[in-house]
Amino acid sequence: MRTLLVVIALGFSIAIMISIPAGIMANQESMQTLSENLTSTITTMQEEINKTATLIECSTTPNQGMQTFRPGGGFFGGVNETFINESIVDEIYSINVSGVRVVKDVIPSLEKSSSENITETITTPFGNRTVYRSAYTIIGVCLNSSIISSYSILPTNITAGENLSEGDSCYVLISSNLTEYFEAGVGDTITINGELFTVKGIFESSSQTRTVYMNISDAQRITGLTGEISKLYVYVVDSSYATQVADVIKAAYPELYVTSYQDRLENLQQMQSMYTQTLSNAESSIAQAQSTATQVIIIAVAATSLIVLFVMLYSVRERTKEIGILKAIGFSNWNVMSQFMLEGVLIGLIGGATGVLIGSTIAPFLSSFLIPQINLFGGTQRPQASVQMPSTNIVGLQSYTTVTLSPELILLALGAAVLLGAIGSLYPAWRASKISPIEALRYE
Amino acid sequence: MNETVLETEKLDKVYKLGGRSIRALSDVNLQVKKGDFVSIMGPSGSGKTTLLNILGCLDKPTSGRIILDDVDVTTVPEKELYKIRRYKIGFVFQTFNLLPYLSAIENVELPMEGTGKSKEEKLKRARELLKLVGLAERENHKPLRLSAGEQQRVAIARALANGPSILLADEPTGNLDAKTKYEIVRLLGKLNTEHGTTIVMVTHDNAIASHARRVLFINDGKMLSKEKMGLFAKEKLTCPACGREIQITHVFCPHCGRKLSN
Ligand SMILES: Nc1ncnc2c1ncn2[C@@H]1O[C@H](COP(=O)(O)OP(=O)(O)O)[C@@H](O)[C@H]1O
Ligand SMILES: [Mg+2]
Repeated sequence: MRTLLVVIALGFSIAIMISIPAGIMANQESMQTLSENLTSTITTMQEEINKTATLIECSTTPNQGMQTFRPGGGFFGGVNETFINESIVDEIYSINVSGVRVVKDVIPSLEKSSSENITETITTPFGNRTVYRSAYTIIGVCLNSSIISSYSILPTNITAGENLSEGDSCYVLISSNLTEYFEAGVGDTITINGELFTVKGIFESSSQTRTVYMNISDAQRITGLTGEISKLYVYVVDSSYATQVADVIKAAYPELYVTSYQDRLENLQQMQSMYTQTLSNAESSIAQAQSTATQVIIIAVAATSLIVLFVMLYSVRERTKEIGILKAIGFSNWNVMSQFMLEGVLIGLIGGATGVLIGSTIAPFLSSFLIPQINLFGGTQRPQASVQMPSTNIVGLQSYTTVTLSPELILLALGAAVLLGAIGSLYPAWRASKISPIEALRYE
Repeated sequence: MNETVLETEKLDKVYKLGGRSIRALSDVNLQVKKGDFVSIMGPSGSGKTTLLNILGCLDKPTSGRIILDDVDVTTVPEKELYKIRRYKIGFVFQTFNLLPYLSAIENVELPMEGTGKSKEEKLKRARELLKLVGLAERENHKPLRLSAGEQQRVAIARALANGPSILLADEPTGNLDAKTKYEIVRLLGKLNTEHGTTIVMVTHDNAIASHARRVLFINDGKMLSKEKMGLFAKEKLTCPACGREIQITHVFCPHCGRKLSN
């Protein structure tokens, strides 16, 4: 009966002991993945930015963080679309600094959401949301031979058909996830705003990107935006002029959203510091979890050894007469002591086995109960919508609870249980060995 | 029978209870030769248990010496005393003191724990001893399933486990009914006469005490100077009915079949 109590107590504390490190290990693993993902995201972005040192982006709509580099990938629909007359192309082209032409190329494009809409369910860190968005975005690009050959204004990952080429008219390049929407493949004809287009090629894209590329003149015509554009990619002759030219454009066209290399770099740095913050939040959250866990383990260990101690003391007291008999028939102090120690170790072993059994079934539950959730964002702060995290590849909030019990951990737990049994019975066993035989025999 | 196994010199034992001191033993001088069977007779409270506990190294005298097999055990440090208890002394208690959760044979094996004997040796020895006390068939019984007399037999077998120099028995028949009392004392007699076991037995029962070779008397912690010859000392026993020779272990005369009293 009392032994059962000890076994249960030991069992639970061993269960706690193996659940917590397992949980912590799982946490650390997800932390590792998180950190790796963030680092690689930053690196990729850095590389992309570095490639465009001479690029100044001008847009009639605000940039959406990362979306800067994914034209047409509007995340939430309903952005108020405004346009500007294409005469601006020549005006910007003629900007000079100290009498020297510094603008190398100005590439206009027209981006316009389709008039048809779709509903879409997307997964956010805060649950599933149904959004209402345009079915696709039309992107009209300048199909000049010099521009196509010098700049990658068109998608490069063509999976079927061919890319658009110089002077193409009434041809489109569509993102792969639109084939279903248009029910069309390469060579098929689709209708956009009442005009017929032939699908020349299909490019591989992320699930968010639903875009149709066409000649800018086609786009202006079918959208009724003759002479209007929404975006300008301004390339300067040398990256040293980038900031200066951007400032000139900003001053001359306050209605444009202008981002230079410098701006993008700042954006990235901002994002990077946010990621760093996120990581350090997660780290401190884990550290906190660990210290809580350590406390829980210490308490469990202390409580268990105390229980073993008291039960064994009681047992020694109760068996005083027996100890007297054993001594009277020639047991040495050491014999008596090892008898009780053996008992403690045995109880420990049984308790440990019970603990491993309990632990292996409830470890995930117990560890998530005992270890605070990792808080990526610290406090109540949440990522702001304007800065979109590439959420698809970050290990998110609920992904760490895969707790596994390694054989090493099980062995360790059994060892700990035996040790607890031994430690808890050390003093009682010593007391038992010191009992005088004559006193013990008189004990009833 | 000249070799002295046990000898005491001026044993004193004083119990201090609160402010009062009780002199349980005073100036006890005792000599037990090898192969002897001494019974010490005395009324309740005369100091018999005190004396036997001291002889059995369970308790210490206030003063005096105990020489057991030429060793003054009063000088042996407490930590080493277990060796004397284990190898030199066999102790039989009034209340048997068997471990209830061990079988008869396990109880007998118990004193051999830690002597370095192998499992087989211990088992063999324990079987021998159970056979000697007439319980060969009962080796797997727990004490509670044995009668009082049988339990005392197991206790005697246990006391003999390590071949002690002397068997000390404190009122070994005190908890037994009239019939089993004689069985036990005859068993002790058999061990003494047939196996040469040296025995010191204390009892307040005159009839039981007289079964020894020598009967000594104790009163108020002092040994009296008178000494009686016990039944076992007599060279020959004869049947009171037919006059032919009988053994002390006989309950009925093997010749005329008459029931023999004590
Ligand atoms: N532990 C003890 N403390 C105090 N007095 C004791 C103790 N044991 C025995 N005595 C006393 O010593 C005397 C002898 O007791 P004991 O040896 O038990 O006698 P017996 O066995 O002959 O009945 C008695 O007066 C008893 O009260
Ligand atoms: Mg007594």
